[in-house]
Amino acid sequence: MKKILRTGVIREYDMHSPSVKAGYGFIIILCCLMVVLAVFPLVWVTLAGFKNLKEFVSSTSIIPQSFSLEPFTTTWSQLGIARNYLNSLISVVGSVLCALVFNGLLGYGIGILKPKGHSIVKKLVLLSLLMPPTISIVPLFMNIQKLHLGNSFVPLWLSFGANAMYVILFVQFFETLPASIIEASRIDGCSQLQTFFNIVLPLSKPICAVISIFAVNAAWSDFLLPYLVLRGADKQTVMVRLFVFSTEQTVNADAMMRSVVFAMIPPIILFFIFQKQLTENAVSVGIKG
Amino acid sequence: MSKPEALLRSHAKIKGNIQSWLIMLPGLLLMTSFVWEPLFESIRMSLYKTRNVELVKFIGFSNFISVTGKDDFLQALANTFSYTFWSLLIGFALPVILAMLIGETTRGKSLFRTAVYLPNMLPGLAVIILWSAFFSGEKSGVLNILLSRLGVSAQSYLTRADWVIPIIILIATWKGAGATALIYMAGMASISPELYEAAAIDGATVWHRIIHILLPAIRKLAGTLLILQIISVFQIMYEPMVLTKGGPDNASLSLMQLMWQYAFGGSMNYGKASAVAVIVTLILLVMTAIYSYFNRKESDWD
Repeated sequence: MKKILRTGVIREYDMHSPSVKAGYGFIIILCCLMVVLAVFPLVWVTLAGFKNLKEFVSSTSIIPQSFSLEPFTTTWSQLGIARNYLNSLISVVGSVLCALVFNGLLGYGIGILKPKGHSIVKKLVLLSLLMPPTISIVPLFMNIQKLHLGNSFVPLWLSFGANAMYVILFVQFFETLPASIIEASRIDGCSQLQTFFNIVLPLSKPICAVISIFAVNAAWSDFLLPYLVLRGADKQTVMVRLFVFSTEQTVNADAMMRSVVFAMIPPIILFFIFQKQLTENAVSVGIKG
Repeated sequence: MSKPEALLRSHAKIKGNIQSWLIMLPGLLLMTSFVWEPLFESIRMSLYKTRNVELVKFIGFSNFISVTGKDDFLQALANTFSYTFWSLLIGFALPVILAMLIGETTRGKSLFRTAVYLPNMLPGLAVIILWSAFFSGEKSGVLNILLSRLGVSAQSYLTRADWVIPIIILIATWKGAGATALIYMAGMASISPELYEAAAIDGATVWHRIIHILLPAIRKLAGTLLILQIISVFQIMYEPMVLTKGGPDNASLSLMQLMWQYAFGGSMNYGKASAVAVIVTLILLVMTAIYSYFNRKESDWD
């Protein structure tokens, strides 16, 4: 078995001391407890989904009486969640494309082309990282109303094309690309746009992947602007539907828990497929540039 | 260089510049219409009487006076500071501790990292609804089920004015602490293990090494994360909106939630909503300025 090196404060020879050894055991116990705390609510909500309303409000057991999938399928078809899933899919795909193309091109300009005056744009983008997005939600909504873009996915897609954090991530990545390759493509007669699509983008797969994963998750989870924009029932995404449930309370508590499960399944799948990219890049995204 | 050649070059340069700006144009237009313009529009709107999406009349600071004069504003302001206080109390040190714990493990480290990050990936709205069932005051509320095993009778949690803010912060911490812990872990990973080895040879205990090597190494990072945490918790909005609707009796109403109520709570008073938004922005700006002032001072000492 491969020996795993210690990277922490406790060194290998500390383990000879019984008190440090006991402390290490305690650390492992705490870490396991942490895993339980992180996962238990998810297990619970899934188990709660198996209960019918009567059992949900009266039972004082966490384990459901039966594990039939029927409550899930009933809620799925009764509430027509398939339609919401489709809408979420439409919203997510368009948002990711916009996030890659528009932020990528802007990042290409700031990070590689660097025309006269680009540093002002860079400063403005950096400054807008500090500006909380919810603060401008009112005027943003009014603009969308004025342009008659209500009840359409277009403003939601485009809003992902204006993400300061993604621009900065692109710029940081582009600055690491060797200038010689870009110069070579220019000498070969490629236009700036051709260089972007033929040279820069293929070299930028890692950062595009990271931004796509985070954009998928953000677009899936977003509900405030989508709630304001997508007023028609036929356009509601899963999250908007869930938000409407939570404000109107027309839905039974058990069906609500199943809707929560439905809302969590795609992010959890995404998480387990891309957990490596996610945990490794959580740092750059978390600290925002 | 001959003159025509230089002219040709500068022509090519100008052409290149124009092309570059054209490539950036779509992104710039979007940034303008989705981020920059709404910010200025927010300030402008806060000075106008509004009807629907129309600006009716310039009224100076009347919106501000009318908004701040109401009891719910003072309550929301106090609550927002209370959120910040509880968030720092519960949520500031916890990620550091998590990062230290996970950093010490050898086998299973990636499992712990993954598990601690999982809640951060879940949609915030779904998380809030999930926890609302957890803290439900009914006998079937999960916390009550768990406590009944210990012989504690069923309690109501979200209807108690003194508990509701700490509970909302607990939920937010459950969701966010793991992601912050990963940032601290990256910071701690940049400390060379040789430093610990050398200290150990000099007789420093594990505890000494934490106090004198590990904590000083992450101090700057902690400062940055502190200000980011304050900025983010100050905008808390949908959590109380969904969980308690600001209740009981406005005990969990936040400033941003007040903004939402003015705009979308039926009255469509966008002017007053913008006034609240501007006030929040100003408070955040002041806090950021104070932070960067102290941060600059600190770098001078370094």
